[in-house]
Amino acid sequence: MKHRRTWICLTCLWTAAFLVGCSGLKTYENTPDNNLHVRTAADSGSWFSSVRAAVDIHRVTVDCKTEYEGTVQLNRPRIDVGIPSNRWSRLVFVFDSYSFWANRSGSMNYETLLKPRPGYQYEVKVTYKDDMYNVVVRETHPSSSVSREIEHKDLRACPLKSIEGSRVSSNSSPVDSLLSDT
Amino acid sequence: MNRFHRFATILCVIWLSGCISHPQTPEEFRKAVPTAFSAKVETFEVDRPFSQVANTFQKMGPNCLSKTIKTTSQTKTSYQVIVTTYKPTVLVTPKKAELHVQFHHDQGVIGVGKEPEGGYYLLVADASPVSQSKTRIDLYRPSMGHGVLIQAVRNWAAGENVGCPDLTK
Repeated sequence: MKHRRTWICLTCLWTAAFLVGCSGLKTYENTPDNNLHVRTAADSGSWFSSVRAAVDIHRVTVDCKTEYEGTVQLNRPRIDVGIPSNRWSRLVFVFDSYSFWANRSGSMNYETLLKPRPGYQYEVKVTYKDDMYNVVVRETHPSSSVSREIEHKDLRACPLKSIEGSRVSSNSSPVDSLLSDT
Repeated sequence: MNRFHRFATILCVIWLSGCISHPQTPEEFRKAVPTAFSAKVETFEVDRPFSQVANTFQKMGPNCLSKTIKTTSQTKTSYQVIVTTYKPTVLVTPKKAELHVQFHHDQGVIGVGKEPEGGYYLLVADASPVSQSKTRIDLYRPSMGHGVLIQAVRNWAAGENVGCPDLTK
């Protein structure tokens, strides 16, 4: 009987390890400077559905190719991540939703490019509420509390030389920054 | 399947493809919506200058709606995967801003009738200036489903709770 339990446990562990390996996801390995602070508030708004958030981190090469580096599950209200400075990274925020009632699942992505500056801190506000999601990235100067919103950029903006100059909107909200373009 | 069934099936396909004609342009879509069974026109005004509304459409349309979505539904007897690509187009002139949303099923749904380039039209939002601080919105939209997308476009127009819709809903 004892051998049987051990055998079942080992089988379960092996199956779990196999599934994790097959999913293609790997845990992102942080750089020492935790410069990206992700605050997440994700709520499906229903007892019969759930939503999970995660961020996939890719390295962006000079020729606009991406190399997957790992995933950070955004399963806590605040998570600190280390992203290499002086290099473009592609952050893909993934919202996986599941409806128990309809046994239906889906996935939404929101991607943006980020090139952290050495010493700067980056605050990312990730929200999912009432079936709407939003991702806002702000950059804070190391020696002051002044922050600016980082403009959304995606791979369509490649080659990256063309997006080096990003727009600045100090201490503005997402809506304010939208309006400031006018 | 006997000869009669084959003949009936072919007749049905010919009849359906001839009978169901989808709007091929935004203008055709605007004309078709008022008389359509599953679509309606919604008109409202927002307390924002036209330029701001146009700017939000330009910003949020491509960022939020240029997506390919995969949804999976499962029951005891079926397993369905639907892959849909959405295509937003924003056109801005000094007097009008237009947001067109098209969709194309890449997998899981068979299209009937001629599909326009870029996909079937799902929604058209027209913004036009009323005064310095007010903008009129004409929303040509489905009357059933796609509530999240419709609400997102309303929010973009009003400048409130500006976010992206979860298109899997």
